[in-house]
Amino acid sequence: MADFLGAVDEIFSSEATYLNGALFAAFLAFAATGEWVAERSGTLNISVEGMLLGGAFTAVLGYHVSGSVALGLLAGMLGGMLIAGVQAEMSHRLAADQFVVGLTLNILVFGLTGFLENQIAPDSTLAGRWEIPVLSDIPLVGQALFGQRWPFYILYLLIPLSWWLVYRTRWGLELRSVGENPQSADVSGIDVNKRRRQSIYYAGLTCGLGGAFLIFGHIGRFEDTIVGGRGFIAIAAVIFGGWTLRGTLAGAMIFAGALSFRLSIQGLGYDVNNELLQALPFIVTIAGMAVFSHRVRAPAALARPFIRGLR
Amino acid sequence: MNNTELGDAGAHEADNPSVPAVQLTGISKRFGAVVACDSVDLALQRGRLHGLLGENGAGKSTLMKMLIGLVLPDSGTISIDGAAQTIHDPRTASALSIGMVHQHFSLVDALTVWENVALGDTGRLDPNATRGRIGEIAEQYGLAIEPDRRVGDLTAGLRQRVEIIKCLRRDPSIVIFDEPTSVLTPEESEQLFESLRHVVVAESRAVVLVSHKLDEVLHATDDITIMRQGRVVDQRRSVDAAAPSLARAMVGREVSLRSERAALGIHRLDDTDLDSDLTETDTGLDGNGLDGNGLDGNGLDGNGLDGNGLDGDGLDGDGLDGDGLDGDGLDGDGLDGNGLDGNGLDDTGLDGNGLDGNGLDGNDLREGSGATGDTSAPGDRDTSGTVPAVATTAPPVLRIEAAVAHGTDGLVALDEFSLEMHAGEIVGVAGVEGNGQRELSDVLSSLLVLSSGTVTVDGTPVPTGKAGAMARAGIGVIPEDRHDSGLVLDMTVAENLVLVDQSRAATRGLIDQKRLNAFAVEMIEQFNIACSGPNAPMWSVSGGNQQRVVLARELSQEPKILVAANPTRGLDIGAIEYTTRRLETAAASGVAVLLISSELEEILELSDRIIVMHTGRIAGTMARAEANFETLGLCMGGAAT
Repeated sequence: MADFLGAVDEIFSSEATYLNGALFAAFLAFAATGEWVAERSGTLNISVEGMLLGGAFTAVLGYHVSGSVALGLLAGMLGGMLIAGVQAEMSHRLAADQFVVGLTLNILVFGLTGFLENQIAPDSTLAGRWEIPVLSDIPLVGQALFGQRWPFYILYLLIPLSWWLVYRTRWGLELRSVGENPQSADVSGIDVNKRRRQSIYYAGLTCGLGGAFLIFGHIGRFEDTIVGGRGFIAIAAVIFGGWTLRGTLAGAMIFAGALSFRLSIQGLGYDVNNELLQALPFIVTIAGMAVFSHRVRAPAALARPFIRGLR
Repeated sequence: MNNTELGDAGAHEADNPSVPAVQLTGISKRFGAVVACDSVDLALQRGRLHGLLGENGAGKSTLMKMLIGLVLPDSGTISIDGAAQTIHDPRTASALSIGMVHQHFSLVDALTVWENVALGDTGRLDPNATRGRIGEIAEQYGLAIEPDRRVGDLTAGLRQRVEIIKCLRRDPSIVIFDEPTSVLTPEESEQLFESLRHVVVAESRAVVLVSHKLDEVLHATDDITIMRQGRVVDQRRSVDAAAPSLARAMVGREVSLRSERAALGIHRLDDTDLDSDLTETDTGLDGNGLDGNGLDGNGLDGNGLDGNGLDGDGLDGDGLDGDGLDGDGLDGDGLDGNGLDGNGLDDTGLDGNGLDGNGLDGNDLREGSGATGDTSAPGDRDTSGTVPAVATTAPPVLRIEAAVAHGTDGLVALDEFSLEMHAGEIVGVAGVEGNGQRELSDVLSSLLVLSSGTVTVDGTPVPTGKAGAMARAGIGVIPEDRHDSGLVLDMTVAENLVLVDQSRAATRGLIDQKRLNAFAVEMIEQFNIACSGPNAPMWSVSGGNQQRVVLARELSQEPKILVAANPTRGLDIGAIEYTTRRLETAAASGVAVLLISSELEEILELSDRIIVMHTGRIAGTMARAEANFETLGLCMGGAAT
């Protein structure tokens, strides 16, 4: 036990823990921010996993073709939105079940990207590291927050932008009303399914960015296992956060902490069962959900399809 | 831009009375086999308040939905200010300067007042401008509201205000009010009609008031159109209209029974509405041996004539006049049909009055008779002789003690709520919706668990929130929403009949089709359920008959306690009457009936004892005889009694 506490202490005083934690948290935050927007509109968008993986793959592809990280990022966004398009049009235009569509998409994207990766074997790279002067010298967390590769910093714009869109614009107001009470929104003259589709496209955009960030800001190359179920952890972060952006980000950080802990404890040479460690983030997620999820109120129309004329 | 244009056009047309603000011509709409609107013609003039009157399902809401773009007509034309228009969605309607005050659908609880008002506008979101506009409208029409409160936290009256402000924010020239008073207390309704009149007068708008309440339409409007079964059956000016003839037109036959009047919301007729023959009838009632022969003034006096201001005109004219008084009308029709005799109240009342001196029960229906010193023999009325007397000395069949429960929103919904019920009594629960009535019925349906407090049936504590526990303890429930929690629409009538207790049709978990059918056939016969047979899918059965299925299922369990939550909501008159009578018969056979209702008339008619709920507590308890609309209304609004 003392041994374990010693390990924990060592982990918390290691800069690498925070650096890894920030990378994991950023990846989750890209995905969770978009998922948060989608869920506020009433869609429980479970194709996040597919959007992340698709975004990562198209980002690599974009770089392979253009040789530019920026264009790679753009391609990642488009890839995420392409998958979002399937989800949005199927579930909120053709009224197919959003879960069935989402599940199918996740499996499809997994297979498709694995196959194409084998066929094309695209080149990849890591983006350049930007050290923000002064701030990056803060002990322990300086490097983690201000010494990352540049795609990381997009998050610093994306988060306030998303908050502003949802809480300060007419589009956001309509989005929230659609998630809470689609009948009322419809009566008020809002195109419910259009707003829902748009919110899914937005999730596709942020997930695509997240996938691209994973490639250029963290891993440096594509494998079909790089997302590894973290799309679902992003969904859990939204629920954990009680459908507020603040809570969602807090959830992303806590879950990322668990992911990072796993790496650090091995990196420091402690001998802990590997399978158990792999399961750790998911155990934390489930525990977090069990403790927090019943205390908060979800958007009232979450995961309920809207068909005009039906109450 | 668009608004001003139309506004100008409107002002222009207003000078020319021959062009109505809205002209509907030959509008028809069918949903499957049901004709909702059948070639309806309707003209709305500016500066006038037009009442659209009809029973539930008469097609008035559908008609208005076509005007607002929520439903598309199958045929017919809609002209706004003389120009034919196609209105496919609410946006088109609002561009044409048509606004609707919706009762249920248009507010989002999770948003604030100003956010709700801004919803559906276009352009940049400007909180301060919206708050300012709310202030203006509030001042202009006397509709004060705090713009930053969450709509979900507001009372029904205040929500209505938000709804009206939301509608008026863009200054529509045509305004539709859809059943605006259904969730309001009487005072709130009064306030509403005041501001409504204001809305019409200001800038000569054309305003429609959709309602099934005769009384309010008669008082508030200038013109009245009556719809029945999808057709316009009558149109007249309000000044030329009288309640009885409107009621006749609306229902398609004479309206006589109290339950019908309740359904039509006739309860506040002024003295001016009394015509001479009503008075005649009144005297007829007394003089004609009603007192003498044991029918006495009881139900009639205590209940209708004085208690709630129906006075004479309520029962008379149509129902009890002339022929109503002789054997035929009163015995066979008036009393039976009305359920006054199968009531159990009569008898218990008499006993209570005479023997126990039990004020509460004795008073209820009997007050009148007691006061007139009528000592009619119980035997006269009670031929069955099975009605048990209510004695307060008997242990209560249901006892709820200091119950605390939380609603789905986590707020306290029942707050130290205590209630005792005795066999054979009907306890009415009045109150503005959302004051814990729903949670009370949920607790008694095992749907909600108490945070503290106990529920005891016949002296045995029953665990709360445990599926089926309440039903096994002998509590039957007629749920508030048949479709939501009473029936499974995709299953058959027979299956629905055994949904609560399969033991009637199943052995060792296997359903025996023969027994199921036999039981269903028996129930269908006994409760007169109109359906094509035991295997008819539930959705193919009309609303009134669906309610009969629920009644049949719950009553066939022979419950000790029957909870009826808004049992007549959404039913037509025949079904209301039937349901009411069944409840009375159940009470007469010794079932304790807890009647939770938002229709005061229904509560006043049926209950021995009335409790009023306010914020999860009992705000007042009164005997039937002490209760009238005013005392109940005050209590419902939270005023101390």
